[in-house]
This record gives sequence, structure tokens and C-alpha cells, in this order.
Amino acid sequence: MTNILIIFNKLITLVCKIFRKNGSVFPASIILKIKPDILGKIKYPKYVIGITGSSGKGSTTSLVAHILETNGYKVVWNKSGSNVLNGTATLILNHCNFITRKLKADVLLLEMDESYIKETFKKSTLTHLLVTNITRDQPARNGNPEVILNKIINSIDEKTHLILNADDSLVNKLTLKHQGRITTYGINKTAYSITKPYSQNLDGAYCPVCYKKLKYRYYHYGHLGDYKCSCGYKRNLDYVGKQVNLNKQTMIIENKKIHLNNNVFFAAYYTLAAYTLCKEINLNEEQLLNALNVNIIPSKRLKTIMFDNREVVMIESKNENNLSYLQSLKYINQYPKNKTIILGFENVSRRYKYNDVSWLYDVDFNILDTKNVDRIFCIGRFRFDVAARLINSGIDPDELILVDDINRITTLLKENSSGKIFTMVCFDMTEILKNIFLNAEEGDHNEN
Amino acid sequence: MKIKIAHLYYDLLNLYGEQGNILALKNAFENQNVKVEINLLSAGDNINFNKYDIFYMGSGTNQNLLIVLNDLKKHKKQLLNAIKKNKYFISTGNSHEIFGKFIEMDNAKYEGLKIFDYYAKQNPKRIVGESFMEFENLTPIIGFQNRCSVMQCDDNHLFGVINGYADNYKSSFEGYRENNFFGTYLIGPLLIRNPHFTDYIVKDILEKKNIPYTEITNTIEYKAYNEYLKNFYDL
Repeated sequence: MTNILIIFNKLITLVCKIFRKNGSVFPASIILKIKPDILGKIKYPKYVIGITGSSGKGSTTSLVAHILETNGYKVVWNKSGSNVLNGTATLILNHCNFITRKLKADVLLLEMDESYIKETFKKSTLTHLLVTNITRDQPARNGNPEVILNKIINSIDEKTHLILNADDSLVNKLTLKHQGRITTYGINKTAYSITKPYSQNLDGAYCPVCYKKLKYRYYHYGHLGDYKCSCGYKRNLDYVGKQVNLNKQTMIIENKKIHLNNNVFFAAYYTLAAYTLCKEINLNEEQLLNALNVNIIPSKRLKTIMFDNREVVMIESKNENNLSYLQSLKYINQYPKNKTIILGFENVSRRYKYNDVSWLYDVDFNILDTKNVDRIFCIGRFRFDVAARLINSGIDPDELILVDDINRITTLLKENSSGKIFTMVCFDMTEILKNIFLNAEEGDHNEN
Repeated sequence: MKIKIAHLYYDLLNLYGEQGNILALKNAFENQNVKVEINLLSAGDNINFNKYDIFYMGSGTNQNLLIVLNDLKKHKKQLLNAIKKNKYFISTGNSHEIFGKFIEMDNAKYEGLKIFDYYAKQNPKRIVGESFMEFENLTPIIGFQNRCSVMQCDDNHLFGVINGYADNYKSSFEGYRENNFFGTYLIGPLLIRNPHFTDYIVKDILEKKNIPYTEITNTIEYKAYNEYLKNFYDL
């Protein structure tokens, strides 16, 4: 039966491809209805690695895949980013030999949604599990960070080797009871460290052992940093990132200068995470340096188009994850010259119909209160909520332009704003904006 | 004249952007030309309950809720006194659970502050969704719920449920009100999203202090509220 279903999975994927439908999730949704335990019948390779966390799991997974593939490993991994059960199952079955049921790879590498680790396969299947961080993220689906942490704790087998970001006081809790191997990583104080957090709404601000408030020497961002408690709870680092330099895009790991493929701080985290994991599965220094410093993986390129002789940089933000959202704002802020920003969303989530806007008040929008920001355009159905949040963050109301008719945005931009344009809108608005900008450019050319 | 606001357990009960509620109160008073003093207080702090006009508490994880419960037990007498004196006490998310008889969660039963008669029990499924609530003669209160408990509350209901979840599956009411204690499962920046509700509180406080109140409804918060009703309130 399993063998037939493996063939069936491959066939459905092929049909999806022929009809140009996304076949990365659908095939296994059928197979799992027929045989829910099919993933338990597969013969897995020596390394089955899961990468989970509230943010950064996709970037970490891509970089680990790059390092392994550069060094000749055959890696099966979820490139498409389908990280829930049906996506993972489709991937695994598509890479199985239908006679031997053996996964045709040296490494199965899975970006995993933290809520679905246990549902995917038997806990003991994972040889390694890397946890990037645990923060508030899509609360309508995930609950709060404590709920997420408990889901991860309940998904771990004692034999699994944990690779943990110990800068995260919540992730570090996993070191308290796990009987199997644990390897930790974290980043030392950098030029970007802060001694006071931007805001007081930190996850994991209190000790999970004795419930006293943790004392931080410094924060990198959010609740990630160097903390300790009087009861002795603190981070103990096996792999340490040092001297992060975002201008030069470098950091030091084990006394070696390592290239960062992006000039944002979380690039240091995913690079250190990938380095740690790969070192722990016995790649040597030469192999790591070759993949990270020589055959450099390009960062995900942002969509950039031209409009009215101005560059438009299109960033797709992730709503409902305040730290990811803040990272994107910081990226925009790094541009040192005059700029105009477009913010907003038509729906809060692509995964569910709920429209909870609470998360806006967990984002420190006050960092946009700088002289280099010329205008902020608020778009979408929630433009008034976004504007209310910005004004409540200290942004001058005269800086804001609320766009009631999205088709007028090009006129409004021409008449009322200057500088490079950054759009930081949710998935549903990026495509709409892109088409409006491209059509406007085409119209201008035709007139000329 | 200054209005004093205590943001209680600001670093423990803050899961859903609740600092927005403090901003909403600050703005609403300042728009009336009344100065505001905000104090951030947490576990272990001395809390002078006589000093403040308004106390606010937001949502927390189970662990943090228990830290707060243990700390508030030390202040129970003063707390009770403040509620009796009609001080405003606004508790959003799950924090009002700790004022009740008990909380059952994570396979344990925790004795509450026993100030009110209600109690909360963990629900097997999380309760998540948009809410429209009825409050006195105001237009609907809008909000969102995201919780893991149900509450048994027999009287002194805060809201009638127009659409969304009530305290429990059998009830048609949500929240608790006694004097000026307002406890609700609605999460997040409730007072930002409901400027008319905020003004209801502000007006009452100012009138009792003989400070004139002027109706101001041309703010961005009112625009956001009206837009939300336009898009989502469909009865």
C-alpha cells in the first residue's frame, strides 16, 4: 500500500505541474487521508534535521541546505517553504524510492512550523532540531510564546540533538530537562547592542525557573541578548558569534571571519545557526568557510522597480510578528537618504480570516520618527488603524497620507512625496501596488 | 490637576499590544487639556492604591498570570478598598480571572483573590475570534478574543454579546463590572479601538472631579472605529 501511495503522490504532483497548480502541499493532503501513518513507513537517511522557531527558520534552512549542497551532500529540503504537515509529507514522498521506500538523500532538512513538529512523524525520527527563537507570532493561530514553547517541548524526543539559540531566554528553557545532546549558540555584545529595550513588552522577561525578572547585560533585539537570574539561570554558549559588522557584512565565529549575505542583524543569527548545525554534523572548517565565504549564497533579492524616476523597493512584511516587522522597519531606516514609506494591509493574515490589529501596538514604530522619512502613505482597509498607531508612536500626523483609493496612489506620490520609495505591505497588497506602478510607468512612456 | 494612571504588571501582562490602552487614556485626557501621569509598576513594587485614578492590567501567559496573582495577594486589602472607592480598574485579556474565586489551568487549581464570585477553567480548545459587544447605550464595542479559558460568571456582566464569544458557551454575556471595575476577555488596544468607550470613562472621571468635558470625535481613532464598523459590522 505504502509503495503504491508513493507513486500516487508523485503522479498527483506531476498532474499539478502540468496544470500549473501549486503541487507542493495538495498531493499529500490526499495520501494522508488514505494512510495517515505513511511517514512512519519511510526509511530515512542518517540525518533528519528540523529547523523551527517563530522567525528565521526559512533563512536558516536555506543556508544550511546551501552549505551541505556546496559540499556534495544530497539534501532533500522544503525549498518552497511549505512547512506544515501536508507540504512536508508531499516533499518526503516525492523523494522516496517507491520500491525500497528509502528517502534518496544524505540529509532530510525540514523547515518546520512549530505547531506541526509532532504531527509530522514520530518524535524519534528527528536526529537534530534547531530552534531559532520563540516570540509572539500569529497569536490567533499559535497562541502566546508559552504555548509555542510547550508545543516544542512536547515534540522533542530524548535522543534528538538540540541546537539552540541560547540568546533567547525562552528557547534556553529547553536546556533544563533535555537528556540528549544539546549545542547552544549566541552572539556577544556588538556595536548594535542596547542596554535598555525599545519597549517593555518583551517575551520571556522573567526567569522560567524561579520567576524573578531576568537581568540583561545587553539586548540584540526583542528579548534576545545576554541575561541571567540570581538563581543561576543564564545562557551558556558553545558557539559564539562576535564582532558583527553589518556595514562590512561580517562576523567572527571560532576566530574566523564569516561573510553575512545580508546587512541586517538577523543574518548574523541565521549564519551562526547554520554554522553551528553543520559543524555539529561533522563538516570541517574548510568546508564551512568554502560555502559561507567563497561560494556565497545570494540573499533573497527584494523586488525593485522604477516609478517616476524613483526607485521603489518592495518589502513583503510579515504581520503579527512584531520582531520580524521591526527588523523590516530597521532595514528601511538604514537607508540614509530621503525616503517615502508605504505601509498597510487589506487583511491581517493569509492563513485565517481574523483581523486582529493588536500586534501593531507591539511594534516600535517610533523608529520611523526621523528626518529622513518624508511621507508615510497608509493603504488598505486598515489604513486608519495603521495611521492611529503611527500617530500614537509620535509620528507627525502631517507626515501621513491616507490613501482611500489605491488607484490614486501614483498621483498622490508624485504630488506629495519625495525620495526613494519603500513599500512594506502585506502579501495581498504587494502585487496590486507593483501592477499600479508598472502600469503608471507604461502610461508615461506611451504619452511620451 | 493631574490624572494618575497605574499600568500594573506592565512587563508581565502585555501579550497583545496592551500598552495601546495606556496611550489611548493619555491622549483622551490630554485632548481635554488635562495632564496625565503614568507609572509602570510590577511584581515586588510598593503600590499606593490611594494615589491613582485608574489602574490597568493586560493579558498574560499562564506563568505570568500566576506571578501576578501571588504578588497581588499581598495587596488584596488595598485593592479591595480601591474598588470600593470607585476607582477605575480596567482589566483586559485574561487578567480579570485572578480577581475571582479560582483558576483551573495546566491540571492544577489556583485560589484566586476571591474579590468577585466568578471562576475560570481552562478550555480544551483556544477561543479565538472577533467580537461585537453591547455596552449601555453606546454603539458596539469592537474587539478580539484569544484565550484558553471559559468563565462562570452569574451576575454583574460587563457586556452583552452581539456577535462573538461570551464568558462561556452557554452565556450571552461577557466580562464583569462592579463599581468601576471593568474586566473583559477582549484583548489588545481595546481603548484605542473604541474611542467612544474611552471617552465614556474619561467623561465620568472628569465630571466627578468637576472638570469640564468637551466631546471630540474627529480623531484618527474614531475614523478607524467607523471604518471597522463599515467593513465588518453586518447585522
